[in-house]
Amino acid sequence: MDIADPPPNKRARKSPILEQDITGIQAILSEEFDEDIALIKAHSCQLETKQQLQAVIQELSQKLPHFQHLKRVQDRSVLICPSSEIDVSNTLEQHLEQFAFSEHVLRALCHGVRVVEVPERMPRLRVQYEKTTQHWPCKFHPNHYSESLRNGTNFSSEQRIFHKRIAQLLVRLSRDVNAGRPVGICVDPRQPSIVSIAGARESPSPHEHCGMLLVDFVARSQEGGATKTELTFTEDSEEKETTLRGIPRAYYDYLRKDEDYKDLTFGAEKSRESKEVEQVQGADNLAKFGPYLCTGYDVYLLQEPCLMCSMALVHSRAKRVFFLRNSENGALATRFQLHSVRELNHHYEVFQFTTNEDKDLT
Amino acid sequence: MAAFMEEALVEARRARDAGEVPVGCVFVHGNKVVARGGNEVNVHRNATRHAEFICIDAILASCREKRLPAKQLFSEITVVVTVEPCIMCSAALHTLGVKEIIFGCENDRFGGKTVVDVAAVVGQRIDITGGVRADEAMALLKEFYKGDNPAAPPQAKKKK
Repeated sequence: MDIADPPPNKRARKSPILEQDITGIQAILSEEFDEDIALIKAHSCQLETKQQLQAVIQELSQKLPHFQHLKRVQDRSVLICPSSEIDVSNTLEQHLEQFAFSEHVLRALCHGVRVVEVPERMPRLRVQYEKTTQHWPCKFHPNHYSESLRNGTNFSSEQRIFHKRIAQLLVRLSRDVNAGRPVGICVDPRQPSIVSIAGARESPSPHEHCGMLLVDFVARSQEGGATKTELTFTEDSEEKETTLRGIPRAYYDYLRKDEDYKDLTFGAEKSRESKEVEQVQGADNLAKFGPYLCTGYDVYLLQEPCLMCSMALVHSRAKRVFFLRNSENGALATRFQLHSVRELNHHYEVFQFTTNEDKDLT
Repeated sequence: MAAFMEEALVEARRARDAGEVPVGCVFVHGNKVVARGGNEVNVHRNATRHAEFICIDAILASCREKRLPAKQLFSEITVVVTVEPCIMCSAALHTLGVKEIIFGCENDRFGGKTVVDVAAVVGQRIDITGGVRADEAMALLKEFYKGDNPAAPPQAKKKK
């Protein structure tokens, strides 16, 4: 994957974003959803009659099983193989000899040979499909959810309002409780309920970023946590089924006093004592097994996380990551897209809040 | 420097005995081990408590105590770790600017060199050498994951 310079309209900004500037949410889809699919050169031939088709396709699919994502035939043109497969010193005919085609098929393959451009992989979105299919017909399995992520209809208006409120909360907590420094919030989306809040300290250790603190404070709600901190955390009342221990006292007290956020729910489900799996239909791992790291949780960050923090959230199995501002060393949009790396054993969805400023630029 | 891999393997075995993923790490400065640690993920319920972070935190704490500049010290430290640092640890070590990293076996799921070119993303290159006593490091991991290895053939699973 390329490591790109930040696009000009997404440069990390220095002036603070105000609560009222937040306008919406945009999914940051992984690279396979990029609008343009790269084209590769391929050799094709032109059949003289349609009667040749069956024999040609049958032998091709056995001997040169390329282009699974494409239709092999367009009118009487047939795709043979990527041009890069053919050694530069060879003609097509010399190249094909090694595959022992029957004579009449070989003759057909060497007739009316052209180099054409074809998409290198299968489109995932309709917009990609429409672009790529102009070059060569390709296969396409429309996916409703992917389309909705792209056009923003994946959230109900109620969900959208909630996400936006949490983004506004990030801005407010940073300004009022953490002297303008980054803040992160972890939410269990089932209620939804605030599991944990973390803010970067004044002179932090070099790697003590907000994202790292947040996953450690979530661990506190599961009777873990490794960070030594002078902060006091919220205590639980005996009878409650949820725990507030992942929320530093200062944030909790601030929010309890705030009229605008009176209706917010706080607390994490406690770690389950029994190892029994709850049988809930269509449930995710959080519902089935109870809290484990950040499984099933949403993470909201004021700043786009760096590579270290982005990977920490992969290790922690966060469900979705929302952020507001781009960071110069951001690893989900600005410098890199960690969620595009297929080898990883966990992938979260990424969303960025849009602001008035974005609109001014378009 | 590679001789210090034995020390890292000791830490990996210690992690295994504590029920953690068996990865161990030592930080070496001037031919002396100045920090050592194994994975502490399960005990803290925090997936970021990798062996490298245990060592980083130990160094930072001792620098704070002695009022020494950590930056200078890190630039003279060789990191010796049984498994290729993951993307997160590698990003941290690149940002801290350690002198070099020596690792045992590769990590093809989330290695900070094998899977992602962390140096390019962070914008800082450091010397990295892999493959030092890789078989022993890998054997520890295999032993650990053999309990419920999803990659194991179904017949082998049935026998258990």
